[in-house]
Amino acid sequence: MIGDAPARVVFTSGFSKRYTNGVREFEVKAKNLRGMIRAMDTLFPGLGEHLEEETTVAINGELHETGYFQPVPAGAEVFFIPKIEGG
Amino acid sequence: MNDSVIISDSTKRFRVVGTRPIRPDGIPKVTGRALYGADLKLPGMIYGKILRSPHAHARILSIDTSKAVALKGVKAVITAADLPEQKNEFIGPERVAVNFWHVTRNILAREKALYEGHAIAAVAAASASIAEEAVALIKVEYEVLPHVIDVDAAMAPDAPLLFEDMITRGVEPAPAKASNISKRLAFEMGDLAAGFAAADVVIERDFKTAAVHQAYIEPHACVAKVEADGQGEIWSSSQGHFQMRALTAQILGVKIGDLRVTPAEIGGGFGGKTVTYLEPVAALLSKKAGLPVRLQMTRDEVFKATGPTSGSSMWAKVGVTKDGKIVAADAVFKFQAGAFPGSPVMNACLCAYSPYDIPNARAVGYDVVSNRPKSAAYRAPGSPIGHFAVESVIDMCAKAIGMDPLDLRIKNVARIGTPTIAGPKHAHAGFAETLQALRNHPGYKAPLGPNQGRGVACGYWFNGGGESSATLQVNADGTVLVATGSPDIGGSRASMAIMAAETLGVDYNTVRAIVADTGSVGYTHVTGGSRVTFATGTAVVNATRTVVTDLIRRAAMIWDVDPEGVVWEDGYAKPAGSNVGDFKPLSLKELAAKAAATGGPITASAGVNAGGQAPGFAAQFCDLEVDPETGRVTILRFVAAQDVGRAIHPSYVEGQIQGGVVQGIGWALNEEYIYNAKGLLDNAGFLDYRCPVASDLPMIETILVEVPNPTHPYGAKGVGEANICPPMAAIAAAIEQATGKRMTELPMSPPRLLAALSA
Repeated sequence: MIGDAPARVVFTSGFSKRYTNGVREFEVKAKNLRGMIRAMDTLFPGLGEHLEEETTVAINGELHETGYFQPVPAGAEVFFIPKIEGG
Repeated sequence: MNDSVIISDSTKRFRVVGTRPIRPDGIPKVTGRALYGADLKLPGMIYGKILRSPHAHARILSIDTSKAVALKGVKAVITAADLPEQKNEFIGPERVAVNFWHVTRNILAREKALYEGHAIAAVAAASASIAEEAVALIKVEYEVLPHVIDVDAAMAPDAPLLFEDMITRGVEPAPAKASNISKRLAFEMGDLAAGFAAADVVIERDFKTAAVHQAYIEPHACVAKVEADGQGEIWSSSQGHFQMRALTAQILGVKIGDLRVTPAEIGGGFGGKTVTYLEPVAALLSKKAGLPVRLQMTRDEVFKATGPTSGSSMWAKVGVTKDGKIVAADAVFKFQAGAFPGSPVMNACLCAYSPYDIPNARAVGYDVVSNRPKSAAYRAPGSPIGHFAVESVIDMCAKAIGMDPLDLRIKNVARIGTPTIAGPKHAHAGFAETLQALRNHPGYKAPLGPNQGRGVACGYWFNGGGESSATLQVNADGTVLVATGSPDIGGSRASMAIMAAETLGVDYNTVRAIVADTGSVGYTHVTGGSRVTFATGTAVVNATRTVVTDLIRRAAMIWDVDPEGVVWEDGYAKPAGSNVGDFKPLSLKELAAKAAATGGPITASAGVNAGGQAPGFAAQFCDLEVDPETGRVTILRFVAAQDVGRAIHPSYVEGQIQGGVVQGIGWALNEEYIYNAKGLLDNAGFLDYRCPVASDLPMIETILVEVPNPTHPYGAKGVGEANICPPMAAIAAAIEQATGKRMTELPMSPPRLLAALSA
């Protein structure tokens, strides 16, 4: 992606119903996940904690635990999905 | 014997990665000297025993422990009243949300016994026989209640309720009436109606699977020693000693820092040893008795009181065009959670379609409680169950349009950029290569005999990353110790030593890897989710790289040059740039000998929250023969291909694949919990719970497909779980080819298959 295009943030329908009045997609400018979480928390106070505690994040499809340090490339597609645990 | 074929798209060569050295824990294990959970004996140690419910569902009216307390030799008796109450709230991520109000009731029952084997009280005594005698003296007054075992029966409006106030989560508006349905969840993408309208063939079926146990050979066992000041030590066999510490601290209401947990060797876990049953009980008994307490389960207790994976009732529907494009898929997964909420139904929803590019799809899941032991994780939790239904219907679609079932999957394969039902697009390749490798296997087109059939199926698992720690120490003689916090279930010590040796450029035998206790290495998440080689391996490589940087600095100090004028190659510090030829390279051993003079011990630790894990894709075919007289199925050949990233130690990768396949064969053909009319388990032992054994099976042939994961230093992907997903559907497809009968209920045991053949 080029320049400082905002990232597209997407939540599952269940998560969006619980925390963002059903809105599933947002555009957010942030260099890393910390900035993204802060921006979302500004829009929906308290949301940041839910994101940190309850989700795994996929940045352009790559799965990560939701940590502050993950870089968010310009124009990235960022999905917050339910955390996954294996056997 | 190894039959594996390694297909690699990488030309990169390593000196240690990809070799097959002997595992460091091999000799103690084959000579019987390895110490498992039940082997530790401490001075003054006494023995614990748990009283368990004889009823499937009963209200506990009273517990009288006075006679047990009075018995000579009894040192402590506890019930749930000795444990602090927990808040009734779900905490943590939705998929793995934990409600400690439930957890503490599973460890020791309070208001009700919810399944046969539910722990009611515990005793510690001077001998195991006194403990057994004391347990029999505890008088429990029960009011026996109606029970429910089957998931569909548990969802019925008139079903006996396990929790009279449980309102289904995930339904809006919230139901007014309580039920056994703990949660509903749904995922959807595309336009389902339009997708099915575009299909030339639509097939739907109902499916049922049985609850199956992980069937690890080693029963749960631990020793706990808690001092009067509250500081405690626990030795236990688990998939995560940090997890055991955290759970025990929470259940007992003590500080994490007051507990130290040392991992024993583990005789199998497969997900079932990520949860705690005994540790808090042993610790509390020890505190009360003032003595160390050993607590271990019998096999009967393992079956009745620890978590199998869920049984299920499912419906799946798939639509394809006549040229083999899957245009729509829909499914409902109803999972038994056991006596407390928390089945892996979300994973079934998220995994079932993930191997494919299906533009229109929906998955609905229900988490349902019934009077069974609380389900626990089992190898790719939830995914094999969902795959059985969806892969079976995909196979039926292929047959309906006259297309080879593997070709249909190749036509619909998920690639980088293919959306998944959870939302994110696939970011890693590997499945197309895996399918092609299986397609190219010479056995795939081999002729079959009478009553024989061949079946194909695939599977997907996310694989894990997350938090891991490692510490590396260089000893005075140049040998190296690698300590991690990951219990070694599948040969991970060997893999950790390989990655450290590769990074250092030294011989594998120079490096010894150990699993360190909670006081000796940083926090490390459980050995589960196929995460250890990826995440803990990354921590090991990071710590090793830090040591290499330090070794370069020390060599520069010895040579009195700048560190930039030194490189590390093949286990030596070598002069670089303008220094080339000025100094004799220094080996790790030589630098280790100078450790004191160059700054002290050479050691480094690394902690990571590893991300970018690549998922696992598996594709398998099996050949089998059905005996039409008895319904017995004999597996003739099983070929399992899997995208493994890069096999750090190929033997242990093959072992993971073979193990997953064999467990899947057990699910498919024999394994099930059998309950009688009273809701009591009738087959709580390995004689009646039929696991496959070596004499039942051919050598499982493996194809290791190496499409390296760029986010791991050596390209590793998790390999432990995707392999258990395909066998059930592959075997069902093969049985259909052999007999003309499509089996939709597991296990496809001789009586069930014979009944189908006779119908």
